[in-house]
Amino acid sequence: MKYIKTILFVGILISVFLTGCGDSSGSASCSGTQAQGWSGFVKYKQVLCFGSMEGRVIAIDPVARSENKTYPAANEWSYLIKTSVPGSACGAMCSPSSGTSQGIYDTPAVTGGLVYVGTYNGKIYAINADRGVVRWIFPRESYETVGSIIADIVTDGQNLYFVSSNRKIYSIDAATGDFRWEHETEGKIWVAPAIDNGVLYAGNYAGEVLALDADTGKTLWSIKVPSAVSSSLTVFKNSLYFGTFDRNLYSIDKNSGREIWKFTGGNWFWAKPIVDNGRIYAACLDHKVYSLDASTGKELWQFETAGPVIAPIALTDSYVLAVCDKGILYKIKAENGTLEKEMPIGFTVMSPPYTDGDMVYIYARDHNVYAVDTATGTIKWKFSSFLK
Amino acid sequence: MVDIWNLIILDPMLNGLIALSEYCFHNFGLAIILLTVVIRLILMPLTIRQTQSTKAMQSLQPKIQEIQKKYARDQKRLQQELMQVYKEAGINPLGCMWPMLIQLPIWIALYQSIMQALAATPENLLALSQHLYNWEIVGRAIPLNEDFLGLKLSQPDNTLILAILVGFTMWVQQKMVTPPSTDPRQQQMSSMTTLMMPMMFAFFTLSFPSGLALYWVVSNIIGIIIQYFVGGGWGYLSFAFLKPQPQPANVQKTEQSTKRLKEGSEKKKD
Repeated sequence: MKYIKTILFVGILISVFLTGCGDSSGSASCSGTQAQGWSGFVKYKQVLCFGSMEGRVIAIDPVARSENKTYPAANEWSYLIKTSVPGSACGAMCSPSSGTSQGIYDTPAVTGGLVYVGTYNGKIYAINADRGVVRWIFPRESYETVGSIIADIVTDGQNLYFVSSNRKIYSIDAATGDFRWEHETEGKIWVAPAIDNGVLYAGNYAGEVLALDADTGKTLWSIKVPSAVSSSLTVFKNSLYFGTFDRNLYSIDKNSGREIWKFTGGNWFWAKPIVDNGRIYAACLDHKVYSLDASTGKELWQFETAGPVIAPIALTDSYVLAVCDKGILYKIKAENGTLEKEMPIGFTVMSPPYTDGDMVYIYARDHNVYAVDTATGTIKWKFSSFLK
Repeated sequence: MVDIWNLIILDPMLNGLIALSEYCFHNFGLAIILLTVVIRLILMPLTIRQTQSTKAMQSLQPKIQEIQKKYARDQKRLQQELMQVYKEAGINPLGCMWPMLIQLPIWIALYQSIMQALAATPENLLALSQHLYNWEIVGRAIPLNEDFLGLKLSQPDNTLILAILVGFTMWVQQKMVTPPSTDPRQQQMSSMTTLMMPMMFAFFTLSFPSGLALYWVVSNIIGIIIQYFVGGGWGYLSFAFLKPQPQPANVQKTEQSTKRLKEGSEKKKD
């Protein structure tokens, strides 16, 4: 009897832990602290830079990749960001483990020949975009961090603006990494700010939307929306656009914060809305892409996909490119939302796609970068981010 | 299978937990405590039945051990005699397991709900979106406020306090129900189990989100309270300190509860 009870107890224990570890996306760990990242691309000269799920900043030359040259070819480089993650392996009793790396969420920014990347352990790295060597790190002291950086860094060419999980908005000098100002808000910030005409707009998980003077960090105005801000912010003409966790997409006056309109979807608007030619294109986790009139919020069309659209959509001349988490890339006519082409990637995509002419570059969850020719619908080449 | 599990058990509990946090002043720590208490109260009849069945089984242990010694070489006869003893006492030998098995899916769902709701990483938060109902209150509550009594509920506890609490409460709970044995081998094995499990969970606490550890502590404390009132005091825990005779003092009570169970089963037969 005692043996049966012991076996049953151990069985229960194992089943509890097995069922609690992981989710359908396979990204969650037992401790719930595994972070893989979903960085997109930025172009510098002829190379594309992105943050990998293995914690590297990688520069790839699409021409060299299409010729299947050995990596790294000329102009190509990679830089491994080693982080100290206290307690990642065995909790608070463990001393920080050095030499580990974590996935990067932030799509790099480029200005003045430097690539800027924010990391999950709360550092900003400025890397020489030609050679892949570090110019400076913020904060400078190795033990100092600013809280996990999930959202993209924005720049006005002179300064960097970034937000952190520690509820703060920061501004630092782009050339030197010198601290300029910080602004504390009421909630964690996982969505990217937007800068326009000397004003920095940011939203947080306490439902605050703020407009700050980009020079001083002083509040120009702030409002509270009923739910936390779920998407990065977009500025277009006099409006600010963003999604919230109560399934709404908002348009507010960028000068006062006054609500202009809101549109309700079937789930969260997680990806940054894109504005073009008086229209908003918004990807939603309800398996749809919406096109709305930017000034009125009136729905122009909607397009249904096979799964939630996590990654922001990309635009080409007259097409909308959306990729759903089932790994299918859709080429949709921007005018009326009809499907032009459907291209299977085969793996979940969370990272923003990058378009260059007919080519679109996608970093999928199988750790490969796919170069897809949207004219023919074929994958031209792929590149694994697992580097030695 | 996973979809059915999510639809029927996980999603209702997850959304309920998140909505509850909004009613608890946007405090997820309070919501965890409240939901754990509510679920334990709902499952109380099953817990009591399980405790009583376990006690009844334990009261038969001296007799079972005697039979085991007597018929050690005749397995067939041993089984027959054991079944006879269970029959006479009106006990189903698996009776203490059914309530445990019925409770199991609920515990797993509660555990998963806490893990998913805490959404420690951006990927976890995204995964959460596919489980949420279109309730206004849920939309307002997400993402949850993870601050509670100086803890970050989605992060492991930096101090050892929670780990000690988890380990200690689990040890107390186990000690209350684990009878001392006259057989040194069995005694050693049960001592190991009583010690190993709390140590394992204390170790898990150092790596798991503190919201989950909070649930373990609350669940253990409620378990101790139920055990105290149903099982009659501190049970075998007091024996661990007082070093008494192998026969526990509350055996009489247990025998009474065995009798009650027997009467109950006879009434059911009628």
